[in-house]
Amino acid sequence: RLIQMSLPNISRVPASRLLRSVRDLRWLLRSIAPLAVPRRALTQMGYRRPGQPREDKPPWWRVKFDLSKGLKGMKRHFQLLKEEFFAEFVGPMGKPIIEHMLEQNQVVWEFRGPHSLQEWTISCDREIGGKSEIYLKIGKNNETCLLYGTLCSDPPKDGETRYSGYCTMRAKQPLASFDRKKYHDWSSFNTLHLRIRGDGRPWMINIIAETYYTHQKDDMYSYFLYTRGGPYWQDVKIPFSKFFLAHRGRVQDDQHRLWLDKINAIGFTLGDKADGPFQLEIDFIGVCKDYAHTEDFAYEKYKRNPEV
Amino acid sequence: MTPLIYSTLIISLGIGTTLTFASTHWYLAWMGIEINTLAIIPLMTQSHSPRATEATTKYFFAQATASATLLFAATSNAFFTGSWDILQTNNPLTYTLMTLALAMKIGLAPLHSWMPEVMQGLTLLTGLILSTWQKLAPFCLIYQIQPHSPNLFMALGLLSIVAGGWGGFNQVQLRKILAYSSIAHLGWMVLILSFSPPLTLVAFSTYLMMTFSLFYSFMMTKTTHINSLSTSWAKIPTLTALTPLILLSLGGLPPLTGFLPKWMILQELTKQDLALVAVLAALFSLFSLYFYLRLSYTMTLTMPPNNPAGTLPWRLNPSHNTLPP
Repeated sequence: RLIQMSLPNISRVPASRLLRSVRDLRWLLRSIAPLAVPRRALTQMGYRRPGQPREDKPPWWRVKFDLSKGLKGMKRHFQLLKEEFFAEFVGPMGKPIIEHMLEQNQVVWEFRGPHSLQEWTISCDREIGGKSEIYLKIGKNNETCLLYGTLCSDPPKDGETRYSGYCTMRAKQPLASFDRKKYHDWSSFNTLHLRIRGDGRPWMINIIAETYYTHQKDDMYSYFLYTRGGPYWQDVKIPFSKFFLAHRGRVQDDQHRLWLDKINAIGFTLGDKADGPFQLEIDFIGVCKDYAHTEDFAYEKYKRNPEV
Repeated sequence: MTPLIYSTLIISLGIGTTLTFASTHWYLAWMGIEINTLAIIPLMTQSHSPRATEATTKYFFAQATASATLLFAATSNAFFTGSWDILQTNNPLTYTLMTLALAMKIGLAPLHSWMPEVMQGLTLLTGLILSTWQKLAPFCLIYQIQPHSPNLFMALGLLSIVAGGWGGFNQVQLRKILAYSSIAHLGWMVLILSFSPPLTLVAFSTYLMMTFSLFYSFMMTKTTHINSLSTSWAKIPTLTALTPLILLSLGGLPPLTGFLPKWMILQELTKQDLALVAVLAALFSLFSLYFYLRLSYTMTLTMPPNNPAGTLPWRLNPSHNTLPP
């Protein structure tokens, strides 16, 4: 006979009579009763679109097993490992030391073919139910990339979201063999140099640096990018000292300079609440060293009162 | 940081080390080390950047683990031998635990992995305190522990020389290079500890002088990367000429001072019929010499293009650049 594990049944068991005083017996029925709250903490779960029911599938349910894909992956990763091993004989990070000594400019991202687009991710508020659109394609002659789309600030009608209207493009984090994280080391440089052609809209450039604590996961360093519009290209040079710290879009009180030795990614965000089409053409994104720029950090640092 | 708090922390650093130096009881010596650790934590997190807090957290974890192991070993030694005296460390198990705990404290291989990341996150001044002053108290205890057999120290020493040399091979960040240099030098010091403790002191004192000088040179030129080191020739030409001497002294080249401890250590090892160990130590220190030579090459032997309009930092704390008004 199937025993119905309900609360009154448990309370009839003599040894558990004392447990009747326990208000929440869900911890007793953990493996049997359906869960009202997810097992893992909110920060560990993937993004949940507001208004959608929570998914409670264990992680292994979402993985698709495929032997041929696994074998190709192993071959690719061992190939990368071999390249990394032999690159160390050339010099630090695969570049000869003379390059580290002399470099004053470095092009980090350039768009010279469809393969360049694999390094980027685009996103817009369509993911949360909005109506914006964003597309990324290689420009003419395989020389540039064109980020275009339509911005729409109408919030999704899900009962939760109040604001909407953003489009963003973000570089993927470079990965070493076996999907280990690699970082960009820009400590030889002090300025971000972009060659872009926009349509007059104001963009936000976000630089994501490597962090240690989980609560710093959404930290990013931002600055404005005002595009001029028109047919002429724009060379934008932004010193890294101008970037300010924000967390989930909120500018922080306790500001500090951007540390350049472990950079994960760069991103461009449009959220100027002006509905309509937009375009941004990017030739290259690089870093350079401006010897005349000696500023360490452009903003006042937070000082508590009384000062400790 | 207010001068009062700053001076309190600096004095606490001094008190902690002095307490360890002056104590014969394990508990008091441990307390001195703890005071040192706790005093340097606020100094490390002075700037609120995430890298500094990351470095402080990693340092705290490593030091707390080592302190806990040290206290456990000292308590176990008191349990087995009935004595809390530092010189009465007779039990092999507790002696090994103590040695490993102190090795982790100072950053000997294979317990050295915290050191480069921690140094990278600190300012040059705090890194200097970490590399020099923070090593004194644990070293004092290592010096006093009576070694039962030299094998453990020799293994730690050789591993540290290898790890310090190999790790610093392809680094371009100067603080990480200094961390690996510190690991390698500590390896030389503990290598000879079982046979001739005074030689360890000689090696340690020369290491302190050389490391202090090198850190100070980098502080004067405000360089933390090999790229900025290469363009420092225009900043302080005299320092550019003298720093290679410090670097080559660290590398152990005669007739500079750094050669003295290495020579005497190799001689003592040979006398103890450990010629193979001596050869291995000398060979592996060539890795360290490689990156010291590389730093000397970038700093002094080359003159990469430099923009003369950049700020000259050699005037005491300059606040203006040399561009015409």
